[in-house]
Amino acid sequence: MAYFGNNPQRGELQELYADLNDLNFEKKKEAVKKVIAYMTVGKDVSELFQSVIKCLEFNDIEMKKLIYLYIVNYSRQKPDDAIMVIQNFRKDVRKSENPLVRALAIRTFGCLRVPKLNEYLIEPLKDCIQDDDPYVRKTAVLCVPKVFEVSPDICPALLEQLQKLLEKESNALVLANLIQSMREIEVVSGKQLINLNQKIIQKLLLAVDECIEWGQIFILDYLATHNPQDSKQAEIIIERTLPRLSHINPTVTFCAVKVILKYLDFLDNGELVKNLCKKVAPSLISLLSWNQPEVQYTILRNISLILQKFPILFENEVKVFFCSFNEPYYIKYEKLDIMVRICDSKNFGQVLNELLIYLNEADPHFVRKTIKSIGKIAITYDKALEKAVSILVEFAKNVQQPTEPVQELLMQMQLIYKKSKQMYKYDESLKIIYSIVDYANEPESKSACAWILGEFGEYIPKSVEKMKEYIDNFQMEDRLVQLQLLTSAVQLYLKYPSQCATIIQQLITSAKDSFNPDVRDRTYIYWRLLSTDPEVVKNLVCFNSGVVSNFSKDLRLWETQDLVLALENMGSISNLFHKLPHQLYKNIKIKINNQHDVKIYKGEEKPDTQPQPQAQNQQDGSNQNNKKDQQQQQDIDLLSFDEPPSNININNNNNNKTDVFELI
Amino acid sequence: MISSIVFINHKGEILIYRVYKDDITRSETTQFCAKIVATKENKECPIINIDGTSFIHITIKDIVVLATTKVNVNVAMTLQFLYQLVKVCRAYFGGEFDENCIKKHFVLIYEILDEVMDYGVPQIADADLLKKYIQEGGLKPELMNDVEKLKQLTSQATGATSWRPPNLVYRKNEVYLDVIESVNVLMSVKGTILKADVAGSIQVKCLLSGMPECKFGMNDKLLMQREPRKPGQTTTDKGITIDDLKFHQCVKLPKFDKERAITFIPPDGQFELMTYRITENINLPFKIMPVYNELGKNKLEIRVKIKSIFEKNLFATNLAIKIPVPKNTANVTTNSAIGKAKHEPDQQGVIWRIKKYPGDFEALLRCEIDLGQTTNQQPWIKPPISMEFQVPMFTASGLRVRFLRIYEKAGYKPTKWIRYITKAGEYLHRL
Repeated sequence: MAYFGNNPQRGELQELYADLNDLNFEKKKEAVKKVIAYMTVGKDVSELFQSVIKCLEFNDIEMKKLIYLYIVNYSRQKPDDAIMVIQNFRKDVRKSENPLVRALAIRTFGCLRVPKLNEYLIEPLKDCIQDDDPYVRKTAVLCVPKVFEVSPDICPALLEQLQKLLEKESNALVLANLIQSMREIEVVSGKQLINLNQKIIQKLLLAVDECIEWGQIFILDYLATHNPQDSKQAEIIIERTLPRLSHINPTVTFCAVKVILKYLDFLDNGELVKNLCKKVAPSLISLLSWNQPEVQYTILRNISLILQKFPILFENEVKVFFCSFNEPYYIKYEKLDIMVRICDSKNFGQVLNELLIYLNEADPHFVRKTIKSIGKIAITYDKALEKAVSILVEFAKNVQQPTEPVQELLMQMQLIYKKSKQMYKYDESLKIIYSIVDYANEPESKSACAWILGEFGEYIPKSVEKMKEYIDNFQMEDRLVQLQLLTSAVQLYLKYPSQCATIIQQLITSAKDSFNPDVRDRTYIYWRLLSTDPEVVKNLVCFNSGVVSNFSKDLRLWETQDLVLALENMGSISNLFHKLPHQLYKNIKIKINNQHDVKIYKGEEKPDTQPQPQAQNQQDGSNQNNKKDQQQQQDIDLLSFDEPPSNININNNNNNKTDVFELI
Repeated sequence: MISSIVFINHKGEILIYRVYKDDITRSETTQFCAKIVATKENKECPIINIDGTSFIHITIKDIVVLATTKVNVNVAMTLQFLYQLVKVCRAYFGGEFDENCIKKHFVLIYEILDEVMDYGVPQIADADLLKKYIQEGGLKPELMNDVEKLKQLTSQATGATSWRPPNLVYRKNEVYLDVIESVNVLMSVKGTILKADVAGSIQVKCLLSGMPECKFGMNDKLLMQREPRKPGQTTTDKGITIDDLKFHQCVKLPKFDKERAITFIPPDGQFELMTYRITENINLPFKIMPVYNELGKNKLEIRVKIKSIFEKNLFATNLAIKIPVPKNTANVTTNSAIGKAKHEPDQQGVIWRIKKYPGDFEALLRCEIDLGQTTNQQPWIKPPISMEFQVPMFTASGLRVRFLRIYEKAGYKPTKWIRYITKAGEYLHRL
């Protein structure tokens, strides 16, 4: 049976037309199948509408389904012809004793989506909502939002009927569909339809035990949006949800986690909260070993959010996030990200040992991110500094090409040196890093090299020659590099005034006419200052950062208020992109979270370092961006931050921004 | 919820196209096919947003199964649903799922799609249940006209025990239990265990009449602590710690949560009763000890010693140890006392196969690798050594089934069979 041939020939439609009108039943059926096959590949077969619906007269359910599929597809193109089938549907719904046929008819009827046909639908639909057979009822309740979307004005009676059904329905599956259907209508209409009271909550909780997995998900999903009246109610809901943690469908488990985490906030009993966390954690970890990488990915993406509110869940569990060799890279990236987040002053050794292995991976982006992570850990934990630096220096020893990871390496080393300059003055590492500066080919990494040159000029052999080399190419460099070169060259000049006199002159000559106002301004400032009072320049450029600045670990911290909202939407698309629903979907109203004090669930230990005010050790004029803006940017623009670094070359103009992110 | 479900082949051609909500146009989907599927970008991330439409997809061999949506759906559920859909299709096509059988059975697939999802909301998607009322070539007319039978069917489908049809009769009542454990372990270069866990599964084949109520017990530490000690009985088995358990939908979860008892009315035939995860006190059946030497610019030597750590009277079967070699390997000479080792270029490794391997036994393989000339200066990225094996009648976790009690009105005594097997999951040793 070759239904999927090449494109239909010119005469094919006529041929089909003939077959559809043939008296032989088998021939008709074959023809209908062919019509559907054409429809699938995107060929317009709407011309055959009348002939196809004529075939409905046979009581063959397979063919009926195909014809219905066809009608649904073309009903809006041919509303007048579609009227002809109405009688058929009504007959099926009212007269058929077969519940499957009744359900099929009402299901398809709802999908016609032609406003003027919907009037004919109301009465049969009302009957179906009250049908004896739960299979018909579960189909009928889902039919209401279909009608509501197209003609909301004729629906009030139906909505009322749904609300009544919610009170009295006892079948779990119908209830689950009912909840889902009412939620859909709520989204479209923007009005609340479900009046949740104690009795209905009880009913829903009971239904969770009895209905199919998807139904459980609908109900749990819905409960997660509800705010309980008091601690008692929250406790009951949690208690009834707990068993779901053992369900084999990972999404059910995940939704149960969502409900439990949500209601934890409302509990008064601290001991209970701790116990619940102990129960949730292993379940969540099991989901990570689920054998479908796509599902794993969604869970990992959500875990990075959960972590912010519930650091307690993954204490001592860093191992579960170790990457295995054959995993897809999109998973590895997430795991790496999470590993850095749960790295602390105790387990950093374990994490660094693991990251060391990833430096051998084949994918340069991934290696780059690994280096960045190592840098982050080094900067965050004083104890980790030595080990991290030794790993990075070891990596630098084997560098032979200007690869992507090398760029990151130079950038991270700059940050590390910035943080603890005194430590590395005479260090072997400086020489090794200096030996690879020629491999820098991105603006950020070049500027990092220029910084090192200016800052450590006296400890590096032939620093003046190197600087001259840079200045010879000054015009070709990116603005970011130019700015840094200006500062570094002045620094070097102050260290070796006689040797650098000519290069400073050369630099000023080429930079003072720059098209870029920032570069021009800076050149003039240095120029004037140098000619008036070199001491002032010294104070300006040779900044001695005696204070160890605080580098915050979580670059992407959410406002805790937003976090509560995000966790309510666990598993959803918006969370996957680390956004709030209303940021991604315009039709979703901004939901204000009324919960004022948001709890963060930490373990017993106190944090390693107390947050300190950020030291102003940024000399680069380019980094003077408003701090507040950065914060907001991080809150909202999480996605762009998260993209693999491949875009960096394209975004040269935005380099400032990236640089700022690096420094906080 | 979900706007459409689409099956796409690897060239980006649409095979099946079913719309549930008309907020999406066909051209948006073809755009996705052209941009993402045809360029293989779909391997990079399971969800892609293009102009306000989210494309959530999984890839099964060459087929991309796609769900599109314009609203904030639960992605985990959607992915799970797509997997379930593939599972249902496989059940109908005898385990196959490829372009040919999709094309051949497209009418049936449309029927299935009509049933498993309504208005973008997932519905009954259990293959055994669906088979009762969706069959290739249509249902038998007898069933279609037998209102009583149909009612029974719909009430089963929507009822609380949708997985089991009533009134089953077996002449001989039997239950087969299979405890299957996969050991995942990752060892560092030095041989320290970085992570180890057991992912276990209990498969049941159930041939029982009527509506039996089953109660199942293992040497679960938490459960055994609850049980009252019988006087005079001293038991050395204290039980094992299970990190987490996940159950088939038939298991009464509230009862498990309260009493930690596993009770259920089983589906008919084969099903997975539960899966579990254990991280404490794992008995690793094999130890791998590799030594890696560079004998010169173009010569490597890898020696691998393996040791079985289980009782002498047990045997492991079908061992395959994969030792990675560089791409530019020209020739490998291997030397081992048992099994066969061979360089398999398509696997980029030496595969050492041993049919049967006794307990408490050591074996050594020595590989000398000659490298060819290569222009590529990149150092060789060494993948880990991996291992496959099966050890029957052994559980790495120490899990034991203690009882399976079956109560049925008819009061029959079923025959019960049980097997244990431990397999290698990701059994890796970094080189």
